[in-house]
Amino acid sequence: MQYALAIDTKRCIGCNTCAVACKIENNLPDTMWWNRVLTVGGDHTDTPQGSFPHLSMSYITLSCQHCKNPACTKVCPVGATYKDSETGIVMQDYKKCIGCRYCMAACPYNGVRNFNWREPEYTFDFSQGSEDVPSLVKGTVSKCILCNHRVKKGLEPACVAACPERARTFGDIDDPNSAISKLLASRSNYQLLDEKGTNPSVRFLS
Amino acid sequence: MRKVASVAAVVAVIGLCAWIFQCMNGLQVTGMRDQSSWGLYITNFMFFVGLSAGGLIISSAPKVFKLKGFGNISKVAVLTSIVCTILAICFVVVDLGSPWNIWHLFVYGHFTSPLMWDLCVLTLYLVLSIVYLVMLRREDDAAGVSSKLRGMSIAAFLVAILVHSVTAWIFSLNVSRAFWNTSLMAPWFVASALVSGTALVLVVVVALRRAGKLRLEDENVQKMAFILGVFVAVDLFFLFCDVLTGAYGGAGDAYDAIIMVLAGPVAPFFWAEVILGVVCLVIAFKPRLRASANLCVVASICAILGVFCKRAQIIEDGFGNVNLTYPGVETGPAVHGADGAWQGIGSALAYWPTGLECLVVLGIIALGVAVFCFVYPKIGQDR
Repeated sequence: MQYALAIDTKRCIGCNTCAVACKIENNLPDTMWWNRVLTVGGDHTDTPQGSFPHLSMSYITLSCQHCKNPACTKVCPVGATYKDSETGIVMQDYKKCIGCRYCMAACPYNGVRNFNWREPEYTFDFSQGSEDVPSLVKGTVSKCILCNHRVKKGLEPACVAACPERARTFGDIDDPNSAISKLLASRSNYQLLDEKGTNPSVRFLS
Repeated sequence: MRKVASVAAVVAVIGLCAWIFQCMNGLQVTGMRDQSSWGLYITNFMFFVGLSAGGLIISSAPKVFKLKGFGNISKVAVLTSIVCTILAICFVVVDLGSPWNIWHLFVYGHFTSPLMWDLCVLTLYLVLSIVYLVMLRREDDAAGVSSKLRGMSIAAFLVAILVHSVTAWIFSLNVSRAFWNTSLMAPWFVASALVSGTALVLVVVVALRRAGKLRLEDENVQKMAFILGVFVAVDLFFLFCDVLTGAYGGAGDAYDAIIMVLAGPVAPFFWAEVILGVVCLVIAFKPRLRASANLCVVASICAILGVFCKRAQIIEDGFGNVNLTYPGVETGPAVHGADGAWQGIGSALAYWPTGLECLVVLGIIALGVAVFCFVYPKIGQDR
């Protein structure tokens, strides 16, 4: 089994709802985003490429790619980041992590692994999101775990549930009859940095 | 020597305080961020593993290959080696975000990780070099080299080569960074280790001789300077191979990585390495110049700084070249500039250390100086 995300770049409007839903669900501290919306276009966020009238702009979202052949899990000296054999989700154990940040150096996808550089700080003085989410720990690495706590209950990840454009599809890509497998079979799609051989489970429909 | 040790001990204590401050406040007090997750500490880790491996190799190689050595430098070289290994381990410890979890390495050890291999090899290496030093001291009075000592020097020699190869593999086995992902890295690291290790031993023995703590003929200093030149030549050859291979393609990740060191923000480190290497070569290969012990020390310092520049490039270029070039791909608290704004990918150095990091590094180096000064009188005068 390999849980995966298919992101429809034709539907995505770059509204950042998925990023915010993720931040709330997982009670992420200030300045930390496990899932982000990035502009495929000009030199700055929300700017197009090309010159008028031949302009183009689209969006992708970037979070942990839950690779089938992850670079991060191999290099972890204590096995704090590992591939869950049941779901194929790349997990992160804050209790085991020693904070060496080797996984961050080994991961080819920039910024999807987030280190807790300080004691987590929050704008609000109360916790948000799910009560099943473990608290973040200063001096350890954290990242998207595909809302493992929701998936276990049969729910979709928060980013998928929140997307107003229904641009995000979640499911098992090892099951040829799943909705996501059928979607991927019917549409052209790509993986980020497929040349690195990590075989990401996040696909972008184009 | 006692005076030097006391000053060093004070600096080491200041460094320790800085590290405790870092533990309390988290690694936000360093210049490292999500984009450049390693910095000055890991630079120094690579650097000190090199200093240590090189020292041990030049001490043991004459015994391994039954050559005439460099005079009575064996014990000094092994002692600097031991001290540098301890410092290298210290640099990994201060780099950890959760050093209080360090025992996890022994309980949950995950042996697909090159960091775990390095831990095993470094430990073995430290034990071997201590045993080797004790044996060298015992055999002081015996004539010639016993077969036991020779066996030990062969073991130490091989592990010294292995320890730096494994350190290279920590970087070179990663597909994520174009600048690192080359099979040349391990042999190159061994060559650089020989450069910096020989140079360090040369500086230390000349300093000890000047302080009247060691007898050493000029001839041996010159011989070491010459062999240093040979090592620097090999190191520069590897550098040329790496640059040519990356640049020749004219496009792609490897090309971008090389352009960043040739003409990008990392260029000062690259050209400093080249110039320092050439200065060292000139002094080492001109008999008139290397006749002066002072110039030999200058050549050695050039060589050491050159290797450090290479280590800095590994961090700056490795993290400076991002694979995904979308605007705003960086995460975490801002690090660049007083205005807090990111300067854009590839246009600036990905990482610059903070004063606190420098204090911790100085403290660790001072600890090494203090340990050396404390132990040196106890290893006995070399004959």
